[in-house]
Amino acid sequence: MQNPVIAASGTYGVGREYSELVDVKKLGAVCAKTITLKAQSGNRPPRLWETPSGMLNSIGLQNDGVDAFIERDLPFLESLGVPIIISIAGNTIDEYEKLAKMVGALDGVDAIELNISCPNVKAGGAVFGSDAGMAAEVTSKTRLATSKPLIVKLTPNVGDIADVALACDRAGADAISLINTILGMAVDIETGRPRLGAVVGGLSGPAIRPIAVRMVYQVAQAVDVPVIGMGGISCPADALEFIIAGAGAVSVGTANFVDPKAPLKVVEGIDEYLEARRIDSVNRLVGAIRLDNG
Amino acid sequence: MRQVKSTVVAKESLTKQIFKLTLFAPEIAREARPGQFVHLRCGTEQSFILRRPFSIHQVVGQDTIDVLIRVIGQGTRWLSERRPKDSLDCLGPLGNGFAIDPRVDRAMVVAGGIGVAPMVFLARHLFDADVRAHALVGAVTAADLLDVMELKRLTRRVFVTTDDGTQGTKGIVTDILAEQLEAIGPQVVFACGPEAMLRNVAGICARFGIDCQVSLEARMACGIGACLGCAVETRDGYRNVCSEGPVFSSETLGWGCG
Repeated sequence: MQNPVIAASGTYGVGREYSELVDVKKLGAVCAKTITLKAQSGNRPPRLWETPSGMLNSIGLQNDGVDAFIERDLPFLESLGVPIIISIAGNTIDEYEKLAKMVGALDGVDAIELNISCPNVKAGGAVFGSDAGMAAEVTSKTRLATSKPLIVKLTPNVGDIADVALACDRAGADAISLINTILGMAVDIETGRPRLGAVVGGLSGPAIRPIAVRMVYQVAQAVDVPVIGMGGISCPADALEFIIAGAGAVSVGTANFVDPKAPLKVVEGIDEYLEARRIDSVNRLVGAIRLDNG
Repeated sequence: MRQVKSTVVAKESLTKQIFKLTLFAPEIAREARPGQFVHLRCGTEQSFILRRPFSIHQVVGQDTIDVLIRVIGQGTRWLSERRPKDSLDCLGPLGNGFAIDPRVDRAMVVAGGIGVAPMVFLARHLFDADVRAHALVGAVTAADLLDVMELKRLTRRVFVTTDDGTQGTKGIVTDILAEQLEAIGPQVVFACGPEAMLRNVAGICARFGIDCQVSLEARMACGIGACLGCAVETRDGYRNVCSEGPVFSSETLGWGCG
């Protein structure tokens, strides 16, 4: 990657819309919207609700399935001229494996991100990423299915995220990315109904940043592989927090909705910060958090 | 579509809650079609608020557009504090716009409340295309009626309803729609307003076998079709209100059908 800034999955589609507004070639990479084996229709609307400094979404992984993606969307992604990360999700470990194998065989794909924030239908609907054991199993099975760089994207809705991260590291992940959205909900007090059709959704935006920075810090301390940090980054200063806390790269997601130029401003701002301090590479900042009292 | 830094040219208070902003935005003005909208950034760099979508109310000359804004929350309140010479970050023009079939020569425009927002632009286009249009405009009370004079200039006749009878016929637009469809026999009805009104309009049009296009509202995040947050159920599955709408035929939505 030419710089450490990635467009986050779920916020960028496959880049068709945003490439009309900004020069996507200047990004470090684009991570496409999560695809599943079979098409999924997504959740009942309403799927969005704004919250203080953030928003809830319950999109529900709406996508046309891997075959349609490979035929219709992959060529477009490849034409963008940036590294592309394909995000995959399954309802069973078997589906993750199949997807990893199919997507892993494609030349134009630079990395695969495992979205493990989904329920394992064979384990009573428990989310894959909520348990170190299951997360490790998804990782090791997909590791066997492809030799492409494998990123595991963690859900923050767990008790001990460093534990889950370490299990994925040991199971063969090439990198860990976090955080996905935090479970939340809102209620319309006039009608007594939830604001979201799916009742519970995922919270994103600046409100979650302190939680995300904390988790990135904890995970970076625990694992050996690179960490990709995200959660409410809307400006260069936000991104630098994650980098100093231990992230080798960052993703910008929700901020794109407010300002399509946000990720490019982050790229420029990181460069300005490095130049001003005469630091020759962002890698010197990764995990450079100072815990001493001096 | 583009992201442009527009300049506020004028701000006019229309009712207690509704005001009009005139924006200098030539790139948007030149491409805009009736039924399309702009996605406005509310607030400063320091604040996180999602953009708010507003129908393009009018294109004035080559360079400026009007939007009507009803103040209902923090985003619209921030917009209501903008003054001439302020900049406004605009994404637009967005959405599909109304489909005006060249074979149509009689149309009806039905607007409820702030739903009148896209209709002046539409009426202008119909006028320029020599389509004979009639308008039905409804509001809660006389003081809330908008654009009646504008629509009188652009259409053959405007029928007004108010819930409380302070102007026009007492009642809601759908109370008089059927009789006007009989009398005028339009080939297409364009409607915008609260969802309940749109469903009623669709039902009445279906009874008459008249094509009906409705402009929907939805909460939006990206506004451009990337996030899939503004989905509406149609007979072909979920569709984005922002990029595949906001205008849909009632048939596509499966409204008003048996």
